[in-house]
Amino acid sequence: MKNYLKLLNFEVNRFFKLYLTLIGLIIVSQFIGAVVVSKGYMNDVDQVMYKKQLSMSQYTEDYGLFSFDQFVGSEWFLLPIFFSIAVLMIYVFFIWYRDWFGKNTFIYRLLMLPTERITIYFSKLTTIMLLVLGLVALQIVLISIEIQIVNSIIPTDLQSHFLFYDFYSLRMWGWLYPNTFTEFILIYGVGLIFVAVLFTAILIERSYGLKGIFIAIVYGMLSFGVFIAPLLVNRLLNGYFYTLEVFLMELVISIIVLVSAIWIANYLLKYKIRV
Amino acid sequence: MIEVKNVEKKYGRKRVLNSLSFTAEKGEITCLIGINGVGKTTIMKAIMALTPINSGEILIDGEKIRKESYEKVTFIPDTITMLPQMKICDAFAFMADFYKNWNPQRAEELLQFFKLDPTERIANLSKGNMAKVNMILGLALDVDYLLMDEPFSGIDIFSREQIAEVFTSHLIEDRGVIITTHEISDIEHLIDRAVLIDNGKVLKEFSVEEVREKDGKSVVDVMREVYGR
Repeated sequence: MKNYLKLLNFEVNRFFKLYLTLIGLIIVSQFIGAVVVSKGYMNDVDQVMYKKQLSMSQYTEDYGLFSFDQFVGSEWFLLPIFFSIAVLMIYVFFIWYRDWFGKNTFIYRLLMLPTERITIYFSKLTTIMLLVLGLVALQIVLISIEIQIVNSIIPTDLQSHFLFYDFYSLRMWGWLYPNTFTEFILIYGVGLIFVAVLFTAILIERSYGLKGIFIAIVYGMLSFGVFIAPLLVNRLLNGYFYTLEVFLMELVISIIVLVSAIWIANYLLKYKIRV
Repeated sequence: MIEVKNVEKKYGRKRVLNSLSFTAEKGEITCLIGINGVGKTTIMKAIMALTPINSGEILIDGEKIRKESYEKVTFIPDTITMLPQMKICDAFAFMADFYKNWNPQRAEELLQFFKLDPTERIANLSKGNMAKVNMILGLALDVDYLLMDEPFSGIDIFSREQIAEVFTSHLIEDRGVIITTHEISDIEHLIDRAVLIDNGKVLKEFSVEEVREKDGKSVVDVMREVYGR
């Protein structure tokens, strides 16, 4: 346990510089975006009101109100998020491969630590989850600041009422920010299983080389197949099961997929890994 | 004692180790000799469970390797096993963090002996100094067995001398050392036992001193005989 925490701390530190860069990029882009989108909107409003000699209330009647969605849907807001997701996805692979490749061969050190090797796997897995959750939490804070920025530029008379809570009702954000604790566990649990299966696939490749790529792909597809099996069966039977039944089956299957990923990884790290 | 028993290892269809056996005693320096590509490094990796073997058995003091074994036996590969962006002192802190038997006094002693600056970044070290740091990472562990892969290759003459000096010092005494080389002349006077390997097989295993005294032969003489060159 102590070694797990030490390794976790070590792994997080290794990504930290890049992480701070990502955070900086998101903050700068979104804050500039909040100003640019709001100012741009106000410019349009001013021009239209001037040209057509409209009052503010006439304007809102004809053209509608500004919605915060317009900012949330802009590339200023979305691009840094997509970029961060892409970087983290790449890092899921890089977090392993960086130890094998390059001049240093740090994997020698990691595998020669007087600790269960699966600890390395757990520490890397936790690192990815922490990095993701960190960004998700950051975004919540940023949104509330961005609402303030928009409010300071666009008079509230021109805005449709946007409660902080509305943010959660936006479809795509429902995924990142589940409404209930159960949903939170569900969505991020699926995420965890996804990363765990990818990690195990990477270790299969690292253990069996070229042949391993093929096995890894088969393993990945198999895991996915098993994972969605309850949903598929239910679909085939035209919804024969109750939602709760499907949920329970899915829960059991999820645990099976996760445990087998960890079990295989443990076996490979112990007996099959090559440096 | 490290016992390597009938170890077989294949890469694809190629057989790298072919029923290879030898033993290395504590308190002795055992040298694995053979040209490049005969599987010397593979043997070391196999002992440390860094690569799987197809059959056979490797025992360290009569036990198969487990996580506690890494406090008992360590491996110094021919590339550094720390992150390049770390400073030497960071690397030492990492070792102290994870190994109970990391000996900070000895690490300090070795740093001074090699005249290295602990605040230097590993990436900025010369090849010779990097090899020295790599060596310290192994030597400063209070382990019973040390495996060293080609500690002298590609290093300048003065660094070689320094490293050779370590071998005759108290730092090595009482420990079991397995060392590989393809140029025996540098270390012939240091080693106790020689294991000649070719095509993944042990051709001959002998005590250097015995052969020298009885037959008046050097390791190189024996090699000429065995390899027929």
